[in-house]
Amino acid sequence: MALQDLCNYHDILVDDATSESAPFGKRIGFKNMSGLTLRNSTSLFKFYIPAPEYLEGSPIQFGQVSTIQSSKDILHPDSILQSLSSLTAPPLASSQSVPLPFPMSHGTTTLAFMFQGGVLAAADTRSSCSGLVACPAAQKILPIHSHLVSTTSGTSADCALWKRILARELRLYQLRHGRRLSTGGAAKLLSHMLHPFKGTKLCVAATLCGWDGGEVEECRDQDFDLKDCREVTKSQVRSLEKSLDASLDKAQRASLEADGQLSLTRKKQSFSGPRLFYVCSDGTRLQGSLFSVGSGSPYAYSILDQGVEWKLTVDEAISIAREAVYRATHRDAYSGNFVDIYHISSKGWTRRSREDLKEEYYREKEKRTKEKRDVAGLDSVCAEK
Amino acid sequence: MALFEVSGFRSYSEVRGRQTHLADRTNHYNFGTKTQEFAVPVGVDPSGFLKTCNHDGGVCIDMNHGTTTLAFKFRHGVIVAVDSRASAGRYLASNDVNKVIEINPYLLGTMSGSAADCQYWERLLAKECRLYRLRNNHRISVAAASKLLCNMMLGYRGMGLSVGSMICGWDKQGPGLYYVDDNGTRLSGRMFSTGCGNGYAYGVIDSGYREDMTVEEAYELGRRGIAHATHRDAYSGGVVNMYHMQEDGWIKVCKEDVSELIHRYRKGMF
Repeated sequence: MALQDLCNYHDILVDDATSESAPFGKRIGFKNMSGLTLRNSTSLFKFYIPAPEYLEGSPIQFGQVSTIQSSKDILHPDSILQSLSSLTAPPLASSQSVPLPFPMSHGTTTLAFMFQGGVLAAADTRSSCSGLVACPAAQKILPIHSHLVSTTSGTSADCALWKRILARELRLYQLRHGRRLSTGGAAKLLSHMLHPFKGTKLCVAATLCGWDGGEVEECRDQDFDLKDCREVTKSQVRSLEKSLDASLDKAQRASLEADGQLSLTRKKQSFSGPRLFYVCSDGTRLQGSLFSVGSGSPYAYSILDQGVEWKLTVDEAISIAREAVYRATHRDAYSGNFVDIYHISSKGWTRRSREDLKEEYYREKEKRTKEKRDVAGLDSVCAEK
Repeated sequence: MALFEVSGFRSYSEVRGRQTHLADRTNHYNFGTKTQEFAVPVGVDPSGFLKTCNHDGGVCIDMNHGTTTLAFKFRHGVIVAVDSRASAGRYLASNDVNKVIEINPYLLGTMSGSAADCQYWERLLAKECRLYRLRNNHRISVAAASKLLCNMMLGYRGMGLSVGSMICGWDKQGPGLYYVDDNGTRLSGRMFSTGCGNGYAYGVIDSGYREDMTVEEAYELGRRGIAHATHRDAYSGGVVNMYHMQEDGWIKVCKEDVSELIHRYRKGMF
């Protein structure tokens, strides 16, 4: 499969069998430099491997006294077995013997939905570390390329790293093939890249929001005189064909036939329009029209369910997204501070300036006190009567 | 303690021995909270047993409140809306359970958590409220009723009860809304939602709530809250049972099927 060749998937699988297992769950994704003689040097996961002694312990115990480690080995028969057996024991199981330094909790609110104007992605900006607000102005929506944006949830470090890896791979694809990889392809790529880490503590839950439709589709659009932001589904393609046969003038038809195989053929599904995918490090990959991820997602979901429709205008969509994030930050302790809103259309992504939700809270509080005063005023008027 | 001496509790148990829970007089002062409803046999330690069950790596008894209930106060009273699904793990035991107990014409209690616990303890609360009314010739206040339930929960704290209830009523202080928990939490507030669908309901009612809503708007808000929560939460569903607590008592507003509501609300969707 082309995608497998691209990420050297087979190489990674082969590497499993040859590398030593060690109590370090992430090892499987890394190439062991010593065994590299036969391998293709354009491999995907080429990271610097530090001295082997450090790999025996977990990164959490880096630099600590070794007595802790040996006692841990005694306590956990898994890790003893790990060091004894080699090839067949999956390195994934070893990560369970490593204790976490503190309980991890993934607190955020991100959401994304499709509508006629493209895709809208919104997220809060609070980066929390088990009760401490580590950063009140984090960036949870990371642009990947001009027409693809990814909202991230889970461990910030993991998300930042994988987003950069994905961006690099998509750029390479674009350079090699002359067109952008579709959102679905990017989602599949990310999902396959994360698959070796299934079962480890890696936690990435991203929604990829993009606009598909590269250079080929754009000149087709001019020929057909289609409106912007219109999905070209299979049935529409067929109906277009019929209408073209019936009503098109000769010059356009000639140019179409010259385009030949690329344009209206069914084999190459050339789709143009908004796309939304949810990819998770446990292997989930879903296409949909509305997603919300994170600890604040229930609060956001109900607002989005109420208001999101296909025929929203851009401004209405932005206000619904802002309201949904605001409500989630209002109730969820791990979400808050600001809200970022990105809008992806056929022309690429645009970002609104960051809005402080504190202002929204004060505005609403004022409105409520004003209502209370009105209510009290009305009551007193009634009493007087 | 001075209060013990004042209420004469110790002297009764010393004089009469252990049969005090049968005597009406003790209950009159303590509302039955000093003597437990269920005697726990000697040697059995429910809270210790539960602690061993819930640590990491062992068996985890997960008490999930699989429901959605909501209640909010507004200018014209209190709106109470609940779903009607009863689940036992993944099995749906019933889609037509009444999760609101009508304690008396001016007091309502909602149920979430373990159905058995909620039904039993709220019926017990109803009995105590009735006894209070008969003894004192005036209705029990909402604060006192919720305190009674709270003290019952505290008596068995840590022993595995699972109750998340809202006591709503209208008394001399006006509309009252209290949230009572199996941990002994008792909170007075303007708006609560309990159960595992509560996040979804909170989003809806937070954004639509206004102090000066009309009665129809409040009904619609309650319906929407439960409908959207049942749409996203697997453990909530069935019908929306809605009550409106007014000054002269509660009325039952509606009992509408959730799937029809969702179809109505989401007509413009994809």
